[in-house]
Amino acid sequence: MQIITEQNLRNLIDLLVKEAKLVVGPKLSGSVVLYEPLTAGTELTLDALPRRSSKELFFPVCEDILSYKREGGAMKVTDVDRSKFPETVLIGAPPCDAGSPSILDAVMSWDYKDEFYLERRRKSTIVGIACTKGDDACFCRAVGLSPDAENGSDLFLTPLKDGSYACNAVTEKGQALVAAHKNLFAEGAGAEPVPFVDQAVQKLDLVKIKKWLEEHFEDPLWERIADICVGCGACAFICPACHCFDINDEGSTDDGVRRKHWDACGFAKFTNHASGHNPRDVQNKRYRNRIMHKFKYYDDKFGKTLCTGCGRCIRACPVGIDIAEILETINAKQD
Amino acid sequence: MNARANKNHLTSIEPAYYEAVTEAIRKEAVKILKEETVVGVVGYLPGRRKGTATPALVTSVEEAEKLIFSPACVNNLSVYLTKAKKGVLKQGKVGIVAKGCDMRALAGLMTESQLQREDLFIIGVVCPGVYGFGVERTGTLTEANIARKCRECTVHMPEGADVAAGTHAELADLTPEEAEEMARIEAMPQAERWAFWKEHFSRCIRCMACRQVCPFCYCEQCLCDKNRPQAVESSPRPAGNMAWHLVRAMHLAGRCGGCAECERVCPMDIPLNLLNRRMAKELKELYDFEAGLAPVEKGPLNQYKEDDDQSFIK
Ligand code: SF4
Ligand code: SF4
Ligand code: SF4
Ligand code: SF4
Ligand code: SF4
Ligand code: SF4
Repeated sequence: MQIITEQNLRNLIDLLVKEAKLVVGPKLSGSVVLYEPLTAGTELTLDALPRRSSKELFFPVCEDILSYKREGGAMKVTDVDRSKFPETVLIGAPPCDAGSPSILDAVMSWDYKDEFYLERRRKSTIVGIACTKGDDACFCRAVGLSPDAENGSDLFLTPLKDGSYACNAVTEKGQALVAAHKNLFAEGAGAEPVPFVDQAVQKLDLVKIKKWLEEHFEDPLWERIADICVGCGACAFICPACHCFDINDEGSTDDGVRRKHWDACGFAKFTNHASGHNPRDVQNKRYRNRIMHKFKYYDDKFGKTLCTGCGRCIRACPVGIDIAEILETINAKQD
Repeated sequence: MNARANKNHLTSIEPAYYEAVTEAIRKEAVKILKEETVVGVVGYLPGRRKGTATPALVTSVEEAEKLIFSPACVNNLSVYLTKAKKGVLKQGKVGIVAKGCDMRALAGLMTESQLQREDLFIIGVVCPGVYGFGVERTGTLTEANIARKCRECTVHMPEGADVAAGTHAELADLTPEEAEEMARIEAMPQAERWAFWKEHFSRCIRCMACRQVCPFCYCEQCLCDKNRPQAVESSPRPAGNMAWHLVRAMHLAGRCGGCAECERVCPMDIPLNLLNRRMAKELKELYDFEAGLAPVEKGPLNQYKEDDDQSFIK
């Protein structure tokens, strides 16, 4: 087994930074831990789940997609040079974050290829880490992951009781990372792994839930939730699997930038058409979309569940709407 | 017990206090539903996770018997009487569980003709405080887990409710952390203050949770959602974020009741209530006005008086 000590993990970050790679990992920013560029190994903070997911590495909160400027009679359009996107290493993502790109790849490379996302994916290596500090909002086990799931990781670290990490190079990218920094890794038997935390919600029958959803497009459940839901973007924005975005031209009609930024199905204007018609005109249709998209539509199209069970939406919902509880309710239904 | 103890020596509020309030709320809610005084009651139900609660609109006696009050009952429920939630409960008089700080929002909404007193049955909670964010939810409220706003609460006793649940209990000797933070920021040189807010706003992801929970952000068309033409950049970038936060602070000036819900729900921990309090301070100094103490005819920013202070016009 390959082992890396905590100190060497931090040294690895220092080396990668020196190699001019963009190294991103959990880091304290004000009072919150976020995935941010690390300038030194000492900045890596592994004792809290970052408030926002690591999806923003591939799908940033906001990015320019082109700029335009009127020159004489013509409009000059300049594309973003994606070849400039840096080689990136994501370090310290737990399975519920590390696993999200492997879910999102499907939609991002479907009928339309999102080259912004895909280029970043090609240039990134993900170093996932087994999770030892879940709380009562976590339910990764119930959606097919687990605190030690390697899905999506190129290199996977398992915290050991002596403070070091067992390493498993899952993909070629992971192997290359280890090979390039051989002296930081050692062969060894390794100490015992740090135990995982039990989760309150461990089991859900996703097939049964999907079947119920298929038969209950109209159901009082949606209204009951929507009566409480205030229609914000908190749950979608911090979710590792949500990937809706809006596009806006900002600036003037002569000189401006076209930007892509996060959108959320909770917003009242989410599907507002230019005509003024909105097919999801009330909150229950919008909240229903959240559940349907994650546990039915995405599975229909791509054979995957659009949720990693990270529990972020549960912790952040201003009104305490608890997706795990909703899934349990559906799971328990007899009709 | 606690309620009778000398408030100067209270270092914790035990679960028994919240249980007593819970009983009183249930009794009252059941009564007004049975007597058909109201069509429904806006209150709190327990959440799945230990030490959590969620807003609820209850319309039956069975549901009313499950209502609770605990330190997890953080929400300002008055948001369920305005905006998109207007009409969620069928027409008729509505019961609402309200802490002192929530009552200020109700008073403000009455001032703005969004609510009529006679349409409400207010179950006031004599509130010792609620949890802050990210704290231990043990069921007992202490100096260690009380919300920042509760440390400086002046409205533990809800004034003007139809009934009050609970008897007076509050923690002693709480440091006014927010006031201290305000003072610290106000003492900063302007450039440093600018940097402070720029740093905070840079984390804003424009999830609009702060707007959505605010009882006073009830505009049918928020200026910040306009896109034909765009009034404020809606992309989460420095320019748009700064503009959004200026708009929010200005639009709430003289109206905000200080419930600090906007700050509580911010997933990025942006201390929005510091801005709210600063605006409130301006209103107090310029117009000797405090929003939400009692319903008034018109707030100071909705009227013009010859003798209004104009020194801010430069
Ligand atoms: S839906 Fe909620 S629990 Fe599932 S991945 Fe998204 S934020 Fe996490
Ligand atoms: S659940 Fe909603 S916000 Fe998330 S990806 Fe689906 S439609 Fe978009
Ligand atoms: S969902 Fe929770 S337990 Fe599972 S990997 Fe994520 S943080 Fe860990
Ligand atoms: S975070 Fe909660 S209130 Fe906001 S849209 Fe999601 S479910 Fe609704
Ligand atoms: S809740 Fe926080 S992150 Fe969301 S829009 Fe408001 S200030 Fe920004
Ligand atoms: S601005 Fe914030 S503190 Fe003021 S009323 Fe709205 S939610 Fe409450």
